[in-house]
Amino acid sequence: MAWTKPAPREIA
Amino acid sequence: MSADRISGAAVPYLPRGVRLHDDRVRGIRVLLAPERVIQLDPVGHAILSELDGRRSLAEVIETLCTRYDAPAEQIEGDVQEFLRGLIDRRMVFLEGEAA
Repeated sequence: MAWTKPAPREIA
Repeated sequence: MSADRISGAAVPYLPRGVRLHDDRVRGIRVLLAPERVIQLDPVGHAILSELDGRRSLAEVIETLCTRYDAPAEQIEGDVQEFLRGLIDRRMVFLEGEAA
């Protein structure tokens, strides 16, 4: 599988 | 965010009250904590799914390296940065460093 830099996003 | 590198021997885990959740209604995967929600992309979810509180960070990274097509250094660097951000937010703990 392709690796992409994880980009977590906080949901208010 | 602190820049401390996490030791490969450290055992990361999700503390009590923090869990992965598959939100089928919105079609997103999130990390749920008291009063906080982090939306995850597939790679972020894959990393956290590997944290079982038994295997070390080095073992987790090794597993991810076998599953993903990317240089090991890139995977390790991204995992380090990702987990450091969650550790700083107290959403991931390292065995022996709780409290």
